[in-house]
Amino acid sequence: MKNLVFKSANRVLGRAALFLLAILVTNVSYGFDFPEAGNFSDGSKAWSENCARCHNMRNPTDLRDDQWITSVFHMRGRAGLTGQETRDILTFLQGSNARVKRVEGGAVKLTETASDDISAKHIYESNCIACHGANGKSSIPGTPDLTAQNGRLAKSDAELLGNIINGFQTPGNSMQMPPRGGNAQLSDADLVAVLKYVKASFYK
Amino acid sequence: MKTRGKVKAAMLGFVVSAASLPALAAPSIEELAERLAGMQVEMDILKQQLENSATKAEVQVVKKDVATAGEWQQADTLIHLAGYADVGYTDSASADSSFNLGRFSPIFHFQYRDLVMLESELEIELEEDGQTVTNLEYLTVDWFVNDYMMLVAGKFLSPVGQFRQNLHPSWVNKMTSAPPGFGHDGAAPVSDIGFQLRGAFPVGEVRTNYAVYISNGPELISGFEDGEFELDGVEAEGFNTDGDGEKVVGGRVGIFPFAGLELGLSAANGKATVTSVEDGDNSVLGGEVARDYDVIGADFNWQFRKFSLRGEYVETQVGADIGGGSAASDGATWKTWYTQGAYRIGQTKFELVARYTDFDSPHSSQDQKQWVIGTNYLFSNSFIGKINYEFNDGLSGSNAEQDRLQLQLAYGF
Repeated sequence: MKNLVFKSANRVLGRAALFLLAILVTNVSYGFDFPEAGNFSDGSKAWSENCARCHNMRNPTDLRDDQWITSVFHMRGRAGLTGQETRDILTFLQGSNARVKRVEGGAVKLTETASDDISAKHIYESNCIACHGANGKSSIPGTPDLTAQNGRLAKSDAELLGNIINGFQTPGNSMQMPPRGGNAQLSDADLVAVLKYVKASFYK
Repeated sequence: MKTRGKVKAAMLGFVVSAASLPALAAPSIEELAERLAGMQVEMDILKQQLENSATKAEVQVVKKDVATAGEWQQADTLIHLAGYADVGYTDSASADSSFNLGRFSPIFHFQYRDLVMLESELEIELEEDGQTVTNLEYLTVDWFVNDYMMLVAGKFLSPVGQFRQNLHPSWVNKMTSAPPGFGHDGAAPVSDIGFQLRGAFPVGEVRTNYAVYISNGPELISGFEDGEFELDGVEAEGFNTDGDGEKVVGGRVGIFPFAGLELGLSAANGKATVTSVEDGDNSVLGGEVARDYDVIGADFNWQFRKFSLRGEYVETQVGADIGGGSAASDGATWKTWYTQGAYRIGQTKFELVARYTDFDSPHSSQDQKQWVIGTNYLFSNSFIGKINYEFNDGLSGSNAEQDRLQLQLAYGF
């Protein structure tokens, strides 16, 4: 009986392998634009969903841009990532490994400038949700619970905006929040909008 | 600004010296005119230097460019050294306590664009007698065929289950040791030499990954006990030759029903032959033929915020001798499973861990049930301090029943 199970399982496995080979090998292509840019937002999501499956999350500042290329391509095989997921994660890590800027005072004056067409909710979901979670309670170790009473959001808006723009490193913490959440494309107005969204959604 | 200061000083000097001239000697008009012309030339040169010098803002831009420039950024070939190492301390009831060096495992990555990567891990260990032993843990040439497939050729970590291919590095393993049966002489295969196709692809909203391989396969060890031969173990550690010419085919399929949960099934099938006698004379072997070799495995991994739970089952079955060889005539089965939980405490750097393992072997001296509880301290996310206590239940008087306290510092780089 046991031998029958073994042989059946392996027969299925063998056929599945041939099926995969037939389908996948027909799409041979190389990226001529190396390193091909990925999607930052998808990368942040894929990073938060995959890397902690096996090991503690590495801080993006652990490695330089070129070091992240070989590390992420190595992890493509180990973690079972597609080529697109690999490029997305690489784009996220390379965009997030800038050092936190040390700014005297740190506070930034809020302006009432309206953000462009992108909604604050969309900005949060595309850039912040990977670490802070959909409910603000954090999705990975090392990020604070934004819903905590007298927590991070108890700071002044000016200080919080300064932290978002310049990045923030909690003393002693292994993870830092990168400047502008790692996405240099976000304007000050975008960040003002997302701060208001975060406070309205999570601050008790 | 300094240049402007110099010009002013020169002008001031000129005026002062001019004013004091009558008190000393009266220079001629021609001499004064000559001096004035000389100063005019000097001032023109200074003005030119001032125009050509960089502003502070320009200097800042250059400084930033220099600071962020990567040596390899524009290169098609990338070289990267990674790896891990660990040191520790062990104390048990049956042996004196001792400090010990775990292993130093440098990992080399050589990559040409997004076409190919050569990766290799060395395993450098210090034996109890102080001798240094170096092993090639893996060496593969990885061809990135397309977005959904890569061809891995060489000596690769076994894709059966998760522990060996993903969790064995000491900075990744949340415990100080491998679960019984998942080490270098257990139920789970360690590595193999051959070709492997692996990759990932989405099925609708569900992510999947796969690995299939063909390899030289393992070799079997026979033991001589109580006047007769019996199978002692399976050496599935990547032999560089296939003594019996029989290949092994295997693989793993993983599926993510939703983010945070991975389920995996593994299997391998082929033939293996007895090639050595444990602590004995290999020449006594004769007429050995290849036996059936089958492996099945299942694993899961669930992440929920600061809590993680994983588990794995592997069973290796070796068939009976049907050719009349001199080694063990009976087959044997090794099976092991473990489940492990970990919880990161609040916003601290402390992590609580616990693991239970049950390893069943054909030999009672190897059977072991083990509980491990421990606490980890994350100095950084890749530099971890661990304290573990193992409660071992095995054959009375054997190492398998000795409880142990272990401390470890592991660093991944």
